[in-house]
Amino acid sequence: MTLLLGALIIGLILSLLALGVLVSFRIFSMPDITTDGSITLGASIAAVLLVNEVNPALATLAGALGGAAAGAVTGIIHTKFKINSLLSGILVMTALYSVNLHVMGRSNVPLLGSSTLATRSEEFGRSLFGGESVGFFGWSVSSADAAMLLLSLIFVPIAGMALYAFFRTHLGTSMRATGDNPQMVRALGANVERNIILGLALSNGLVALSGALLAQYQGFADAQMGIGMIVWGLASVIIGEALTGTRSLGLTIIGTIMGSVLFRLLVAIALRWGLNPNDLKLITALFVFAALVFPGFLERLKRRRPTVS
Amino acid sequence: MLTVSGIRKTFHPGTINEVRALQGVDLTIEEGSFVIVLGMNGSGKSTLLNAVAGSFFVDEGKIEIAGRNVTAWPEHRRASLIGRVFQNPFSGTAPTMSIAENFALASRRGHVRGLSWALSPGLTRPLRDRIASLKMGLEDRLDNAIGSLSGGQRQALTLLMATWLKPDLLLLDEHTAALDPKSADQVITLSDEVIQRDKLTTLMVTHSMQQAVSLGDRVIMMHRGRVLHDIRGAEKQRLRPEDLLDRFDEIRRREQLDESAAAMLGDLYI
Repeated sequence: MTLLLGALIIGLILSLLALGVLVSFRIFSMPDITTDGSITLGASIAAVLLVNEVNPALATLAGALGGAAAGAVTGIIHTKFKINSLLSGILVMTALYSVNLHVMGRSNVPLLGSSTLATRSEEFGRSLFGGESVGFFGWSVSSADAAMLLLSLIFVPIAGMALYAFFRTHLGTSMRATGDNPQMVRALGANVERNIILGLALSNGLVALSGALLAQYQGFADAQMGIGMIVWGLASVIIGEALTGTRSLGLTIIGTIMGSVLFRLLVAIALRWGLNPNDLKLITALFVFAALVFPGFLERLKRRRPTVS
Repeated sequence: MLTVSGIRKTFHPGTINEVRALQGVDLTIEEGSFVIVLGMNGSGKSTLLNAVAGSFFVDEGKIEIAGRNVTAWPEHRRASLIGRVFQNPFSGTAPTMSIAENFALASRRGHVRGLSWALSPGLTRPLRDRIASLKMGLEDRLDNAIGSLSGGQRQALTLLMATWLKPDLLLLDEHTAALDPKSADQVITLSDEVIQRDKLTTLMVTHSMQQAVSLGDRVIMMHRGRVLHDIRGAEKQRLRPEDLLDRFDEIRRREQLDESAAAMLGDLYI
């Protein structure tokens, strides 16, 4: 049960990363590998501030803003210097590796003994449930985990709704149209370059927020923690699309959150059944590959059929 | 309203693909004038429209719209003065977004896009009425993705979007060329209605002689990046399609003469 609870919490925390990937990959059609660097940046900024006893909420916010700045840099390199979007992301991701080491001062910052959002919610849990453990459908789970799950169950949907609301405003609508038809957006007087920079800042801000929360939940920030996270996000987005479809923005956002949680659960179960953790990234990559190729493959099969019969 | 003076544009200069698309165009269009632009392929008519819209910067010359020098303005800034409809029906609308959302985008042309709701009753109510007047049955489908509509429907909506906020200048770039004849007629009729009602200053590129004689109050013919003929006033009123075809023939003959003369000179001297 603890395993399941942990998977749910991490799935919810990483759904913010998945939402960030949704913004860059689906709305701007730009797989933005800055993600791998900005999740670590969010974690490192938050961790260093927490070790220095800054208020956890402020530290988390600072981490998110750091990620937003990194995304804006990618956007500026892509739009102002006309560098291919993938390459812009690779450049910033690579640079961020050094930046993260500088921020942390070493490759790993443990948060033992610091007051974090995780320790705060543990205290909240103990006072809420009145003890170290709480009954949950017949299972006994630690009140710390239960409180954490409760808080992420509240916070993540709020973040999702805020994102949805933003994309329904004039600014958000013009950002969505930028990914859809940039020529039209320019002809209607919106600044495509500025929209892309803002969009990547928003995307990486969400990713870094996810990183800051993850560092607090797992109790450390690590220079390697970002490797392959973009693929993780893509997998969540793709599972989400399979769950809810892409008919409306709201459904896509809900699907992405569900996709992240479901993917994390599947991974937890697979690891429990003895999957070698070293194979995890390989399997994630193969999964995303299959998910990207499969719809086109089906399409080809469908088109071939009439000529056969 | 629009003053274009001495604009020149060469694409890919200094390479084998060099194209001198505009070679010194001077043009003044009065407020409320509806100008048809004719010309053969490669004569520079679409390039002229794109130069005015700011799709690229001109190499030389000056462009003024509504008394403002816009020569150095980027495309999105010029859009505050200009409404555009493209040849490709897919170019003017965002396919995965709803009809209403596309109009919400158009309703902020030239304005700051802030954090207020894109869709408000203040927009959707007049929008429903306006779209109902198209008699295409689209007024009940405002929440449908615009990509699910036909090319003709999308082009009619693009025209309404381009003129939702009255533009100082309307640019129509062969906006019916990709449509079937029936849809093309509908869109042309709608264009004429909107232009007459709002007295819009308009530049319309077309290949149709019929449209050139029946619409607008002035015809300019372009050839090799220059304005060759400028037909206006009473002469435009009297204009028949045959007159325009004659002028095209004249251009073609001159073209052939140039080529054969060049060949003759080549044989003699090279």
